[in-house]
Amino acid sequence: MSFAWRAAGMNYLQYSSIAARALRRVAKVELQTEIAKREGMLLKFAKWEGGKSGAYNSVPTIETRHKAQD
Amino acid sequence: MSFIARTLKPTALLARTTRLASRLYASEATGTSAGKLIVNFVLPHAALMKGTEVNQVDMSAVSGDLGVLADHVPTIEQLKPGVIDFISDSGSQKYFVSGGFAIMNPNSVLNINAVEAFKLEDIDPQAVAANLSESQRLATSAKDNVTKEAAAIEVELYESLQSALSGKAK
Repeated sequence: MSFAWRAAGMNYLQYSSIAARALRRVAKVELQTEIAKREGMLLKFAKWEGGKSGAYNSVPTIETRHKAQD
Repeated sequence: MSFIARTLKPTALLARTTRLASRLYASEATGTSAGKLIVNFVLPHAALMKGTEVNQVDMSAVSGDLGVLADHVPTIEQLKPGVIDFISDSGSQKYFVSGGFAIMNPNSVLNINAVEAFKLEDIDPQAVAANLSESQRLATSAKDNVTKEAAAIEVELYESLQSALSGKAK
């Protein structure tokens, strides 16, 4: 199975969070305050070698709207 | 593939293959479920269904649309952004999921994981139309490829959502 988003260098976490964010945007207004609480998830990872943690990296969020519109 | 090779010893892999090969048709199931499918439907922030008994679940997977009944052959499917229809004796319950995984267990238990899901009546059709045109604009005009693909993901989701909403109105 090949996906266009994977060819563009995205991973599944990024793909699924883009889709989830797109769906949250179109929920009815009365649900939006509840939804805002679970917006903005972050994943950080580091490689451990010889019992020592390396530098922390994060999976970058891909923006498709200006902040004001979100 | 290298991941599987690393985590499973060759003998374990062989045992798994033989077990899978042992059951390929629903008619071969042991039939302990009395014809009901037991559904666990979970999101990161909520469990929408926990051991709920239904007759049938219709969903759209990356490999195609599928309807699942009790005693379905064990399988794992990646879900597309789309409608999941839970059909029980009391009627049908439709959710729109942003994508996730459906795991059919050998004992008629169906686990569905999704990142986000809403009932169709909780969706604002006007917001869908507005966001669809904004994402379409971005999918054609964005300068970098990643933003373009991200917008394309949104376009696919909104189009699927729009057809689900219009189907409901008919």
